[in-house]
Amino acid sequence: MATSPRTQKSWRINLLYLPAIILFAIFTVYPLINGANLSLTNWNGYSADRSFVGLDNYLRLFTDEVFRTSLINTFIYGFGSTLIQQILGLALAVALDRALRGRNVARAIIYLPVLVSPVVMGTMYYLLFNFNNGAFNDIVVALGGERIAWLGDSGSAIAIIVTVNSLQFVGVSMIIYLAGLQSIPGELYEASTLDGATGWKQFRAITVPMLQPAFATSIVLNLIGGLKLFDIIKVLTGGGPGYSTNSVSTLIGQTYFENQSAGYASAMGIALFFIIAVFTLLLNTALNRRRLDLS
Amino acid sequence: MKSRLTIIAALTSIPLFLTGCSTGGSDEGSIKLEFQTGRLASDAIQEKLVSLAKSYEETHKGVSIDVIPATQTYEADMKVRLAANDMPDMWGTHGWSLLRYSEFLEPLNNRSWAKDMNPALDTAMKNEKGEFFALPVDTDVSGILYNADVLKANSIDPTSIDTISDFEAAAKTLKSAGITPITSSGKDNWFAGNLTDWLAPGAFTDTELASMSKGTFQSEPYTTVLQKIADWKKDGFFNADYSAATTDDIATALATGKTAFVFMQNNLVTNALTFNPDAKLGYMPVPAINGSSKYLIGGEGLAAFGVAKSSPDKDAALDFIDFLAEPANESALATAAAGIPGLTTATTDLAGLTSSYDEFVASDNYPLVPYFDRVYLPNGMWNTVVSTTDSIISGQANPKDAVSQVQKDFASLYGQNK
Repeated sequence: MATSPRTQKSWRINLLYLPAIILFAIFTVYPLINGANLSLTNWNGYSADRSFVGLDNYLRLFTDEVFRTSLINTFIYGFGSTLIQQILGLALAVALDRALRGRNVARAIIYLPVLVSPVVMGTMYYLLFNFNNGAFNDIVVALGGERIAWLGDSGSAIAIIVTVNSLQFVGVSMIIYLAGLQSIPGELYEASTLDGATGWKQFRAITVPMLQPAFATSIVLNLIGGLKLFDIIKVLTGGGPGYSTNSVSTLIGQTYFENQSAGYASAMGIALFFIIAVFTLLLNTALNRRRLDLS
Repeated sequence: MKSRLTIIAALTSIPLFLTGCSTGGSDEGSIKLEFQTGRLASDAIQEKLVSLAKSYEETHKGVSIDVIPATQTYEADMKVRLAANDMPDMWGTHGWSLLRYSEFLEPLNNRSWAKDMNPALDTAMKNEKGEFFALPVDTDVSGILYNADVLKANSIDPTSIDTISDFEAAAKTLKSAGITPITSSGKDNWFAGNLTDWLAPGAFTDTELASMSKGTFQSEPYTTVLQKIADWKKDGFFNADYSAATTDDIATALATGKTAFVFMQNNLVTNALTFNPDAKLGYMPVPAINGSSKYLIGGEGLAAFGVAKSSPDKDAALDFIDFLAEPANESALATAAAGIPGLTTATTDLAGLTSSYDEFVASDNYPLVPYFDRVYLPNGMWNTVVSTTDSIISGQANPKDAVSQVQKDFASLYGQNK
């Protein structure tokens, strides 16, 4: 039975997916399945010996205070960074959507840190916050104060990590919102101006509802990035003092390589995968529902 | 169209296959050995190993040795290679040759030089069958490092610090003189872990230590150790830049007399003397918290090298290890390590530490106890020791909570390693 030209064309087009599917299978699906498999063992990460321990590693997650602290930190990094990035990103997008001199330069400068490796960004801020020769402490001393251990206290260290991550990736939100703003028809603003609406009212009644798709994209992207945060924490605090600034991602590295508990670290990885998946799905659904309600 | 797609798919796959390929193996008639030393490129031992490898190559035509220094993630890199069954022919193991690597290393107890191994290394490096798995360059004997000039200026005699109260009284005197009594670090955080590792042997009784070895965690003496560190923190004994101090910062502070005591192995002295060659440094035994006799710490080769059991060129690698074990070469390596040689046939130059050695080690008056984490805690606990001690000094946890974390990890890792 001969296949129709249309079916043949469709088959050939589908073949183009193959490289992506192969890469996805090798670098995402296989490690995920292997990780799930490891999470049911007590493997130390290098020995030939390993035993099946069932769900022990998962049950341990519920009683492990270090994991709990890291999970709370992960949410702070994820939601804190997302919130700051949306507020700042939207404000910058609105400001730079106007016909200002030098706006293209300003957009480029704000976006530039996105292109820098988080390790480099973290190192730059580490040098600023460093106790001994950090620029901030030099200012404090010049003003007659005592040096401050900015990264030696969990509260200030977490705040610094959130801020650095937010500042690095605020350019992503700004670009998404700029694209959203430029797709809003100008007639809407003109009509509302004729009806007597001004700045804040227009922003609330036109800009925000019309930006719903941009909100969904920006929030989900930033949230995933924040929940997976690793590099900046490694460079700024290494997860310390103690365990107090670890995210689940940095704790997985520590548990796998330093504590030599590859099985338990894999269970953490699988848990983090589901946590991110669930939050992303919930948020996406909520934001899409809101968009449909408004349309 | 179909053939074009096939070409595209094939080209896309090439990098995947190339990633799996790497240079390696030996050409016919020649042997290339990979030696991961575990020492940083700037380390005096690394420099000595490179020159010894060159000498060996000159007399053993057809053998080339790639002497590779360590990265900052050496231990993690090695674990990945062990898991992938992609071991170098030889690698540096320091104290882990028995507990972590013996499954992968060739026993060396049948080598001609094996009988010359310093007996002080037996506890940490030999198993119950008498097998050992690495050539020890040095026999680590450590205590509390001190700046002799600073102690003298404050009328403190290190030989008369016998109890923990003596040590605390000295620390108070130094603090009131404006000198930081103890310098440690939460950044290069092994300095923090060392505090617990150094103090713990003097807080446990023999019965409690035996119980720890059998897998029963003793929380009371461990709490005593962390409480002592918390008290020192409260008394202001630690450096203000604790959260940020690097190894170089600590070496500088010790060499320049800004601090009096550092809980660290003697190899810090080599580093410190580069900042102030005139510094008079020494080490003294650790006073016991529970009032028993003060003690020295160590009994393992801080620099030790083994041969992979699965190496295709095992005989050549073993021959090179034998070459390193020759008295002249072992002596040169031990001098680079600023330590007592791992083999009794070698000699060493302890330079500025000779007087401490004569006073505290050669006199044989003080027991040498093994590193606490190596013998009494399961493999993998070091990170927990470091992080929990750091939590105490940085004020992020109280001793009770920190001990609870140690206890949980102890139970988990003991079960895993059984």
